[in-house]
Amino acid sequence: MSAAQIAPRRSRGLFSTIGAYLPHPTRWRHVVGYMVAVYRREWIGSVFSGFIEPLVVLAGLGIGLGVLVGDRAAEITGGVSYVTYIAPALMASQAMQFGAGEAAWPILGRIMWVRIYHAMVATPLKPTDIIVGAILFMGGKVAFAATFFAGVLLVAGIATSAGGALAMIGVSTLTGLAFAAPVTAFSVTQKTDQGFAIIFRLIITPLTFFSGTYFPIESLPSWAQLISWCTPLAHGVALARGLALGTEIPNAAAHVAVLAAWTIGGTVIASILFRRRMLK
Amino acid sequence: MNLSTSNATALIRARGLTKTFGSRTAVDAINFDVRDGEFFGFLGPNGAGKTTTMRMIAGVSPRTAGTLEIFGSDPDKDGPRIRGQLGVVHQQETLDQELTVRENLLIFGRFFGIERKEIAERADQLLELFQLSDRAKDQVEPLSGGMKRRLSIARSLINAPRVLMLDEPTTGLDPQARHLLWDALQRLKRSGTTIVLTTHYMDEAEQLCDRLVVMDQAKIVAEGSPRQLIEEHASREVLELRFPEGTSRISKETLDGIGDRYERLAERVIIGCENGEAAHARALEHGLTPESWLVRRSSLEDVFLRLTGRSLDE
Repeated sequence: MSAAQIAPRRSRGLFSTIGAYLPHPTRWRHVVGYMVAVYRREWIGSVFSGFIEPLVVLAGLGIGLGVLVGDRAAEITGGVSYVTYIAPALMASQAMQFGAGEAAWPILGRIMWVRIYHAMVATPLKPTDIIVGAILFMGGKVAFAATFFAGVLLVAGIATSAGGALAMIGVSTLTGLAFAAPVTAFSVTQKTDQGFAIIFRLIITPLTFFSGTYFPIESLPSWAQLISWCTPLAHGVALARGLALGTEIPNAAAHVAVLAAWTIGGTVIASILFRRRMLK
Repeated sequence: MNLSTSNATALIRARGLTKTFGSRTAVDAINFDVRDGEFFGFLGPNGAGKTTTMRMIAGVSPRTAGTLEIFGSDPDKDGPRIRGQLGVVHQQETLDQELTVRENLLIFGRFFGIERKEIAERADQLLELFQLSDRAKDQVEPLSGGMKRRLSIARSLINAPRVLMLDEPTTGLDPQARHLLWDALQRLKRSGTTIVLTTHYMDEAEQLCDRLVVMDQAKIVAEGSPRQLIEEHASREVLELRFPEGTSRISKETLDGIGDRYERLAERVIIGCENGEAAHARALEHGLTPESWLVRRSSLEDVFLRLTGRSLDE
């Protein structure tokens, strides 16, 4: 057969291209099921750390720093103790760390080392189904950890109502997702885990300090405030703190919208990049 | 090239199938049919385009040009439906090390949307078939290479695929594990599964394949049953003469007339002939003094050598 006779591949239409990137209505569930099966082997350990971690954080940072801050606390906290001020923010910050961590090594590992994703794209699952399932599972894991944190805050009297504590779980989960989705998009492009050191040292850890966790965002220069409000954590902190203290949250809907935008935007970009990587 | 329009149904049909990566052509306008129930092989050296062809069939690599039909559908359009009826075993391990042997099968079956009860029954049958039942509850990590490969194949059969695709299934296995795997694949074939495999092992292709294509540098250079290929492209016997000091100084005139044809490799001269013993006698008459020599029946390796002028392991 000469080259002239070879049929060129017809390019996809627009709808077919979009269809290729949309998740199947139900198949992502099987990806969540797979992740849960893996997680079953380690969940006891995570229950333990789920209780211990918030206690350590509160004792170390809250009580220790609280003593240091002392009477000046009221100036920045608006009257509540320093530990009460930072505890809900630390819950959001923990959700960020957790969400980002789950989206880093576990994702890259399943592409590069375990290679199970190569087997999964050879089934009826689409790359998008895998990404959506994986990110939803990360959300579930963040929610699981946040439940312990909220429980500790409620028992300690920092969270003022059970309803508020419940809503804080939701806010933390959304905050975790708002990091998990874009970090997943980063992970699916990586060939080694060296890039994660940059993400965590230069983005995740500094964000804890500049998102209103330990001191109000308003004490930052205005350009830094602007940057903070573009990232998800500041919004998670504002929501979690308001819910814990039972105070009114200005622009609550906008905070939720920013977190949702990072989650959805990150998931879409992750799906596109993952598909490109797996289907060459 | 014979486009083999036989009466048997073609499950896979490729015409002018082409794949390029930038300026490199990995698969160059190849044609082939895989028929229902046959054991079909892609034989060729590493980098010949075998794995890329397998990936296109599995619907995980969009083709650059040509037509490709699997079960009568285009994998670009009907990918998920086609993949639901394929079993794919990758060259590198893709098992989940954090799950047990049996869990690997159970979870994988769910990706095809099969009901849990059905998966469980099938998983137990497959573990039995691949002699893994007594390891069902064990972690994957400590299993031997041969066991992991058998588990990979068992997992790929969880959806009862119409076509099983194996990419270099015995690479890296010891001889005993290879033979165990060959037996298992023969049993599968007898049960009606169509099998497509790639290999760079001649003996594997000869043992297993009903029909195969020889690939070299992105093209198909020959097609047929192992027996046909040997009859068409090689002589009955082969005389191998070994010259550790190299073969470059041996003249063409000296080699002419010893057998039907010859191939000169770095340290060996391979002579195709009707009678190896007689050819050896003639070689001595021509003044050749090999360090050692042997006579054997022709194999697919000789076919490959004849077609490409290179040995497979070069």
